Amino acid sequence: MSDLQRDDERELVERAKRDPREFGALYDRHFQQIYRFVYSRVREQTAAEDVTSEIFIKALKAMPRYQDTGRPFAAWLYQIAVNAIADRYRTLRPAQSLDDFHDLSVAGPALEDLASHRDELRRIWALVEQLPGQQKTALVLKFQEDMKIEDIALAMGKSAGAVKLLIHRGVSRLRQDAGALRPVE
Amino acid sequence: MSMHHDPELDDVLQDDELVRIANLLKATRRAEPPLDEAFRSALRRQLMQQAWGAREARAPWWSRLAAPPSMAWVGAAAGVVLIASVVVFMAYQQPGQNDLVITSPIADAHAVQLQQPILVSFNQPMDHPSTEAAVQIEPATYVSFSWSGNTLAVHPRSGNLAPNTQYEVTIGPGARTRAGQLLLARPKVITFVTQPSSPVPSPRPTSLPTPTSLLNGEHRLADLPAGISYTPQWSADSSTIYFVGDNGALQAVHVNGRAGVVVPDGVSYPAIAPVGDRIAYVRGGKIEILTLATGSIADLTSATDVTALSWAGDQLLWAAGNGIFKAGSDGPVQVASIPRDFAGPVSISPDGTHAAYQGGQSLMLLDLATSTTIRLGASGGTGAFLGWSPDGSRVLYKAGESTVVADTQGQPIATFISGDSSWSSQDVILVGTDTELYAVRPDGSERTRLSAGTYRSPVWAPNGTTFAFVRGGALWSANATPLPGESSALDLAAAVVSSFMTARLNQQPIQAMTYLDDSGKQAYSTGGVALLIRGDARFSRYYVVTQEITGSRPATARFVVRLVLTKGARDVSEYEETLILQRELSSQPFLIDQATAGPTRDLGRGAVVVGVEVGVGTIKVAFDSDLVPETVPDGVVLLDGSGKRVGGRSTYANRTATITGLQLAAGASYKLVVLTSVQDVSGRNVASEYDLNLVGPDPVFQLGGQGTVVNPSPGPGIRPSPSPVRSHTP
Repeated sequence: MSDLQRDDERELVERAKRDPREFGALYDRHFQQIYRFVYSRVREQTAAEDVTSEIFIKALKAMPRYQDTGRPFAAWLYQIAVNAIADRYRTLRPAQSLDDFHDLSVAGPALEDLASHRDELRRIWALVEQLPGQQKTALVLKFQEDMKIEDIALAMGKSAGAVKLLIHRGVSRLRQDAGALRPVE
Repeated sequence: MSMHHDPELDDVLQDDELVRIANLLKATRRAEPPLDEAFRSALRRQLMQQAWGAREARAPWWSRLAAPPSMAWVGAAAGVVLIASVVVFMAYQQPGQNDLVITSPIADAHAVQLQQPILVSFNQPMDHPSTEAAVQIEPATYVSFSWSGNTLAVHPRSGNLAPNTQYEVTIGPGARTRAGQLLLARPKVITFVTQPSSPVPSPRPTSLPTPTSLLNGEHRLADLPAGISYTPQWSADSSTIYFVGDNGALQAVHVNGRAGVVVPDGVSYPAIAPVGDRIAYVRGGKIEILTLATGSIADLTSATDVTALSWAGDQLLWAAGNGIFKAGSDGPVQVASIPRDFAGPVSISPDGTHAAYQGGQSLMLLDLATSTTIRLGASGGTGAFLGWSPDGSRVLYKAGESTVVADTQGQPIATFISGDSSWSSQDVILVGTDTELYAVRPDGSERTRLSAGTYRSPVWAPNGTTFAFVRGGALWSANATPLPGESSALDLAAAVVSSFMTARLNQQPIQAMTYLDDSGKQAYSTGGVALLIRGDARFSRYYVVTQEITGSRPATARFVVRLVLTKGARDVSEYEETLILQRELSSQPFLIDQATAGPTRDLGRGAVVVGVEVGVGTIKVAFDSDLVPETVPDGVVLLDGSGKRVGGRSTYANRTATITGLQLAAGASYKLVVLTSVQDVSGRNVASEYDLNLVGPDPVFQLGGQGTVVNPSPGPGIRPSPSPVRSHTP
């Protein structure tokens, strides 16, 4: 996020703190990413809608108490999201094939030579699903939502060091579980 | 795999194999999950309702007028249990027995006329206060309500809907039936898009044929009785005429010819309410009000000597004896007096502020607020009342062999051919005689002979294209084509823009390219402007924000066109293209020579500018929302090329900010700026600063110094010749 975008966001946040009716602009800006994150965790549209509703309603109510810590506003929303999902996750199970959500085509020309490993690509996110909850969340926020470590730390209520450890352990576990994954020579 | 290097992970993943796995995770492209746009919109509305509830206690009274009142949404907040119980309850009922069905004749419509209420019909009687409280309108709009049976009419207080605007009318779950039931599980949303503020000119040939008639659909509707005739009354949808027939029967005839009797006899002075839901008339010594939807008749008051009956909005006024009256809670209230020696035919203005009455040879104009009277026309001269402008601000009367347009101070504005007159919602005056029918603008310009023949007592329908008239003892109707004044350079350029945009809208790139010159083609190929708009949101409509003739050698026109992008049924974003059109010779067509595109803006986040009129001395900026007036004077500003503010503080009325005191230099660059401090009446600021680059107009294209370039086409009638456009176009 550029300084200009950050300033713009700060202004939107300040307005919404003063007047809750301004919250609509923040909703418009962040709905898609929060919904996508929630859906990636609950894998069922109705459940994703319920959780997303809960997140934004909580955020609206909590706006007057929001403190700008220098981190993106989205990190705070993810924090609410992580907690909301944790509340529900015990009763929710993936109800949909992982392939429905993860488009397993590769992202750029440099990875074209990995095309033959589509099965392995398909498997890797299946393996992520088998990770302990916090490792899984840290990996999703880092690799799927492209968040910075500091922001993930805020969202998960942990220190940056703890997040790094979760990521390290998660990726190491994947290496261990995905023995078949090998680079293309 | 270096392209996936993430420095943050340098000290986390130090093993090549771990880095490789991390890159595989990143390489899995994220597909967007299934998303119901209705859910996204519904959640936003729910949040905004809650926000309103939180804000409302400290909001000033004016910002609450258009707000979704809290009562409507307490039900929603209490909501889940209550709605669920209603759903369960309904599941055990006969289908439809306890359904609340809400419809609107303009739901999902495009090009909705501006001068009409928003009608919302329910399939059962409703509790009025809770239903009105449950209504929310986007963009923010001051409204008032009236009911006709189970139909709610929502009236914008400014009189008109905003042009080029998608409205979203939401009926919240707090709407109760008359029996007190909450049957609406989810908010009902009605959307529609309004028409432009002025008709978009259609392409015309450069040399117009000379037709014998510019009317169509002329046909006889019904016989009229001999003797006294009362002005026929048009329904609000322009489909039906109510008139007094034989034996004083109030009859209705549809323009397709279907007819019926509404009241059997004894009716005089019929007057239909502007909303079209009620007709007032005099019958049996009483003023009665008939509600058309239900057929119910209410006695208003006894009145034996009525000489005029007229609606001013929702208020019925009448003239009787020597006074003007209105209905009060304890009976009739006299508004003003008319001198006994002048008692005679009376007409009350549509805005209820003035009455014209006639005594002997003189025509008098009475100000109902001050009871002051002025004489219309020259002292000692004869005068006969002919009609009012739709807003009641001007009056038409006959003086000698001329028709005079005067303001309510009696100051003449224009004079033209004499005849029976009717002033349309489109500011066209029909003048009918025994031998001819003319159309003319209120300033006397663009006088056009529409047809030969008898056209007495013409009466425009609210749509401004259909009219009724009297011929040979019968009531007739016809449609008039728009005033066909000679095409101006701006009209011709606008027609090209219209055709170009329509081709793009229809995904016809080859057709669209025919309106571009070589430079224009380059702009749309390598210049970064997309000819066909692709993406998640579809290109659904466009409209012209502003248009100017900026040069004459070669003839150059500048258009700013707004392209609206839609997801589902909802307009979600928009961007503007600035098009420069040129032609070397007047015999050549305009072609688009330059095109640039501006940034995309999200919609639904504060007031939006929907039209800008540029004149040498004045700029008018039309918004889609009612604004907080105090935020406008320093929120809508004009800057010159050096960034210095020019002109006076903006004034504001009826969704329009006006900057006056300008002396714009022809061809010079200016920037109109709408700052984020401008606030709509729901308390939202403009989402982001809106900038619109303008060019000082060429004064020779101005309409007689009236300061508008929107439609500078000269007319063949009274306008001094040669017309400015023809004399300055190569």
